[in-house]
Amino acid sequence: MAKPASPEFRTADRASNSSGRPLVETRDLVKTYTLGGEQIHAVNGVSLSIEQGEYVAIMGTSGSGKSTFMNMIGCLDVPTSGSVLIDGIETGAMSSDDLALLRNEKIGFVFQQFNLLARTSSIDNVAVPLIYAGIDTQARRELATEKLIDMGLGDRLPNTPAKLSGGQQQRVAIARALVTEPLMLLADEPTGALDTRTSAEIMAIFEQLNAAGITVIVVTHEDEIADHAKRRIAFRDGEVIEDRPVENRTIAAREMEQESVEEDA
Amino acid sequence: MATAAPKKRTAGFLSGWSVNIAIALTALRTNLMRSILTMLGVMIGVFAVTLAVAVGNGAQTSVMESINSFGSNMAIVIPQPDNEGGRQSFDRGRLTSRDMRAIEREVPGIRALAPQLRVGVDLVVAGTDAGTTAVGTTPGYGVITGHDVDRGRTLGEADIRSASRVLVLGRTTSETLFGDFDPVGETVRVNGVPFTVIGLLEEKGSTFGNDNDDTALMPISTMRQRFVGDTLPGPDDLHLAYVGFEDGVLLPQAKIDITNVLRDRYRVQGDDVNPFTIRTTQEFMEESQMITGIFQAVLVAIASISLLVGGIGIMNIMLVSVTERTREIGLRMALGARRSDIRNQFLVEAAVLCSLGGAVGLALAWLSGAALAAYADFPVPVGVGVALGALAFSAFLGLIFGSYPAIRASRLSPIEALRTE
Repeated sequence: MAKPASPEFRTADRASNSSGRPLVETRDLVKTYTLGGEQIHAVNGVSLSIEQGEYVAIMGTSGSGKSTFMNMIGCLDVPTSGSVLIDGIETGAMSSDDLALLRNEKIGFVFQQFNLLARTSSIDNVAVPLIYAGIDTQARRELATEKLIDMGLGDRLPNTPAKLSGGQQQRVAIARALVTEPLMLLADEPTGALDTRTSAEIMAIFEQLNAAGITVIVVTHEDEIADHAKRRIAFRDGEVIEDRPVENRTIAAREMEQESVEEDA
Repeated sequence: MATAAPKKRTAGFLSGWSVNIAIALTALRTNLMRSILTMLGVMIGVFAVTLAVAVGNGAQTSVMESINSFGSNMAIVIPQPDNEGGRQSFDRGRLTSRDMRAIEREVPGIRALAPQLRVGVDLVVAGTDAGTTAVGTTPGYGVITGHDVDRGRTLGEADIRSASRVLVLGRTTSETLFGDFDPVGETVRVNGVPFTVIGLLEEKGSTFGNDNDDTALMPISTMRQRFVGDTLPGPDDLHLAYVGFEDGVLLPQAKIDITNVLRDRYRVQGDDVNPFTIRTTQEFMEESQMITGIFQAVLVAIASISLLVGGIGIMNIMLVSVTERTREIGLRMALGARRSDIRNQFLVEAAVLCSLGGAVGLALAWLSGAALAAYADFPVPVGVGVALGALAFSAFLGLIFGSYPAIRASRLSPIEALRTE
């Protein structure tokens, strides 16, 4: 079993919004689908803000609207009405090219199924966002290598996803999400495809990233995962039914320490 | 309200394209068998079109060569009414040696004249016989056609004056009668009349399927006395005549000059039909160029159908590829790919697919052309221009047939693409 990653995150060059505006702000956000002639309000008038440096868990059952909400604040989906402001910028009027640039620069995505390109090395997978940022080949390789080393995958640079464990694949995906130095990490059920121990590894990484100043937003339906966050927002039927700080946070780093103590014993 | 300052991402323009090519090659390698089968269509198409163009060019070249070998820069005058204007005349035309002398006097730039009589004859030597069309002419014939002798000598003025029984054999005729032996000095019976062979013409090849070497030359005076009899309307009449011009003489003008002289002599009025027909080598060339051009266009048009089918195959496979990689497209969009990045990625993939197919097709066409030239003795030149054109066209084909799938890919919504299983 690979030792958990112990990355030392650089905080000095971390982009931050000095303006004091919320990093994510939604105003009366509505997303309506028409299914078989019936209107379904997936998200029904949600207004909330997430500040720079927060660690938020977005909770809810399947169909609660949490994923639709996440897709809209990730600028992947367009609201039916209402607005999404990222870093103080209204996204409603932006062109698809500007939205692509915004995602590229400010948002790092982590998916449940990792979504790595098959038959493509770790380093090339991590470098993909840099292609679209217009970074040249040499710099792409350097930055991707740096992030993979941060994730404890310095010896896995040429490996394709098929040659990596689930936890390693998700760490490659996190490296890819971080490679453009985004302001926030949007993780959709990041541990959904992982076992408990590997999940703890991933949550420990999120903890360290958050400690280094990155805003982390995790969408999950599991309380155990949500308990790692500092703030918990719960959705039901497209509306926010709960928004509170998490008491007695689970600290993933401590969890893992305990586990290794148990193992040693 | 602040809006995002739209940053320009120009720095990576070139590396962006090289990345697109790398992505395309990876995608093609991933589905190697499918890529090869798809390329096959374009390959066959480019092969067919390239070969069609080359065959057309080859035909053009060989026609030009054979017209040149027949004699360049000359007019042929035939005593047949010129019905080109659509008016019919059933009168027999006229052309005489005196007409030729008038032309020589009045038309500028003439190099040589070759008045001719032509009679089908039977040549016999020691039990071997050969049928050919004998040409009764003057020394001017050799000057105009450039048909020199390999052995012996050609007709001289003295032969004409004395109407001597001498014969200059074409290569084919000589081989029929004498095989590989030197015929000079031998006696040949021409329709029973003994002639002495004084020369052997050099090999000339064919023009429009006519073997220029299947011939025998004799003095025009000899032929008139012994073989023409009273088949012609007058004692001075000709079957046809060549008028050879100096280099640089413009044949259309020369044709007008000859026409005027002859119309004058035959008192042709206004719209009346000329009792003679004049054709120039330039007209032959233009006509055969047109014919080979049409021939080439038809070949290329037929071959293009296979290229079109190949292109549709590319479009089909690209659509499949886009569908299969919808999730990848969604992912790339989430990571910051603009619609144009996605579009370019698939365009490049289609163009690479087509170019590779085109390159292989071109190589095959070149090999076939070389084989045809070597074994069929027919020049099929796949020139550099044709080759570059074929490559550029196949890449272009990729862009055309790749654009619909590529645009479809670029229009996908990021979230719907990502959700696709």
